[in-house]
Amino acid sequence: SAYSSMLQSGINQAKEFDDPPGLHEKTENLLIEWVNMYHSPQAGRDRTKAFFSFVQYMHQQGILKTDDLISRFFRLCTEMCVDLCYRALVEQNQSPTLIRAKCFHTLDAFVRLIALLVKHSGDSGNTVTKINLLNKILGIITGVLMQDHEVRGTEFQQLPYHRLFIMLFIELNAPEPILESINMQVLIAFCSVFMFLRPAKAPGFAYAWLELLSHRVFIGRLLALTPQQRGWGMYAQLLINLFRFLSPFLRNAELQKPTHLLYKGTLRVLLVLLHDFPEFLCDYYYAFCDVVPPNCIQMRNLILSAFPRKMRLPDPFTANLKVDSLPDITVEPRILPNYVQMIQPASFKKDLDSYLQTRAPITFLSELRSSLQQNPEPNSHLHYNIPLINALVLYVGTQAISSIQAKGQVTSMGTIAPSSHVDIFQYLAVNLDTEGRYLVLTAIANQLRYPNSHTHYFSCCMLYLFAQANNEQIQEQITRVLLERVIVNRPHPWGLLITFIEMIKNPTYKFWNHEFVHCAPEVEKMMEGVAQSCLHTTRE
Amino acid sequence: GVAPLGPVPLVKDHLYQLTMLDAAYQHLPHPSDSERLRHYLPRCPFPTPSYYYQLPPPHADSVDFFTRLSTETLFFIFYYMEGTKAQYLAAKALKKQSWRFHTKYMMWFQRHEEPKTITEDFEQGTYLFFDYEKWGQRKKEGFTFEYRYLEDRDLN
Repeated sequence: SAYSSMLQSGINQAKEFDDPPGLHEKTENLLIEWVNMYHSPQAGRDRTKAFFSFVQYMHQQGILKTDDLISRFFRLCTEMCVDLCYRALVEQNQSPTLIRAKCFHTLDAFVRLIALLVKHSGDSGNTVTKINLLNKILGIITGVLMQDHEVRGTEFQQLPYHRLFIMLFIELNAPEPILESINMQVLIAFCSVFMFLRPAKAPGFAYAWLELLSHRVFIGRLLALTPQQRGWGMYAQLLINLFRFLSPFLRNAELQKPTHLLYKGTLRVLLVLLHDFPEFLCDYYYAFCDVVPPNCIQMRNLILSAFPRKMRLPDPFTANLKVDSLPDITVEPRILPNYVQMIQPASFKKDLDSYLQTRAPITFLSELRSSLQQNPEPNSHLHYNIPLINALVLYVGTQAISSIQAKGQVTSMGTIAPSSHVDIFQYLAVNLDTEGRYLVLTAIANQLRYPNSHTHYFSCCMLYLFAQANNEQIQEQITRVLLERVIVNRPHPWGLLITFIEMIKNPTYKFWNHEFVHCAPEVEKMMEGVAQSCLHTTRE
Repeated sequence: GVAPLGPVPLVKDHLYQLTMLDAAYQHLPHPSDSERLRHYLPRCPFPTPSYYYQLPPPHADSVDFFTRLSTETLFFIFYYMEGTKAQYLAAKALKKQSWRFHTKYMMWFQRHEEPKTITEDFEQGTYLFFDYEKWGQRKKEGFTFEYRYLEDRDLN
């Protein structure tokens, strides 16, 4: 859009250093003057009095003559603020409190200047001018940050940028009519900037970035105060970038202190979201599970445990709980990003649909394995295309539910098979190698959440695969995928507990007769422990 | 930790990210970085023994709690924690205890006895007030409290 091009032009202008002679000195004098005015007792309550005389002064100095000069003015001001912070931060004999007070003295004044300029640019009803200016300035700060990050490398400091962004965000979200009228565009502008500065691109800014993302005013505005959930998609995108950044480090389960701290912060944000905005996690669980590595059990359990606040979940440990008779069990959950688009290439999707319709040709199944192995990222060392497996599993399941409903039936162990849908799951369970099967079972287990039609279908599906398995290896892997999600600390998704309890309780599954349950004394002991806590009874 | 799919070697980009993250870890954001400047009571995080209170008591951010504090504590909060929710709650609690704020002297006044005179524009009598410079309560006889200096906004 026009706004994002303003942002981009701001970012580009941060690299234009060929300033007209004298501009540097002029800007420096103006900035010093403003900082003094800002802190003087005569400045007026929100500094508007000082601001209007300062704008006169800017006019006199010729700064407001052209857009180019204005941009240069902001770039130079940002650089001066940043330089001041770097100089303050190296002073050895000063207390950290004094150093920060010194930095904030100038940064806060600069923030107020920006906020007032944005608020008063153009006529009061002219939102375009205000938003253009905001995007331009945010772009310039972003550009200066990236430049600084690249040039200074490991000497880079997050502080000045962190302060500028959060204080400016708070100022522009104050309860004032002019600001309310541009609020949505303000949110979009900041989200675009944070997206641009994602940790993969500016890793030296990652901690400040997570602080910005998890700031109560930011979360409150994006998830609670903006009507019609119009901020949810943007916030989900930011979180996806965080998970994606952590993914390669979490996948290898080798966390150094810095990555561990970022991971802990991520868990905290997820906990806040689970507590305050469970519907948000419900809606975006699919996109999040696509980027969270398979071994991050607790992180995924936090996401999958979310359920709508108005819903009351029956205790999974209740004896003789009739899952089929729960009213919510036929309701389809909302999934926001279009996961069907992930099923690529188009020819594969066509073949898949045709197989689901006609249960033929049988060659479709034998080619399935190689279709899932085609990896979009070369050299990624992963053998399977995980997003494709996730999309395939969910798509086949939702198609199965529609076809059962079309026949006027309800989902149960008796109605899910025989069908082309379960053919696919069974084929994958039997014919994939351990890694592939693990990923498919993980994709199924990701659907075991609060009572809804998907949870019910995939719960039946998992149990069916267990019952029909032609070898113990499959059953062992199903047990593993469920058990590893149960033995971690709470929370545990409801559907997961339901499925696991059914498997160990219902005698038709002959769970305790399997060899893998007794393969090692410690495994046997653990199983008994889990059974005890699940069933509240000791097995004879 | 477990890596069920086996370790995946980190590529050059990841190693660069780790280096930058490691450097950023040496100067993490400070709690004060994302809040308004506190002039008198800046944050100074310090490791305190675990057997000391690490958290304030629950509901310490309610008017109820503030009304149980001594007036001197409320005056301290009012003058040293400007622009915070605590200052707002302190002002509320003081008003509840019949203290009134004088916007010219910037001090809190309380009637010591029924005023000798009450007109449309002022009242006159003996008042207690809190002197923030001497830091203590004082009595003033024959004081005229002009109503145009009375802060009477409804704090709700």
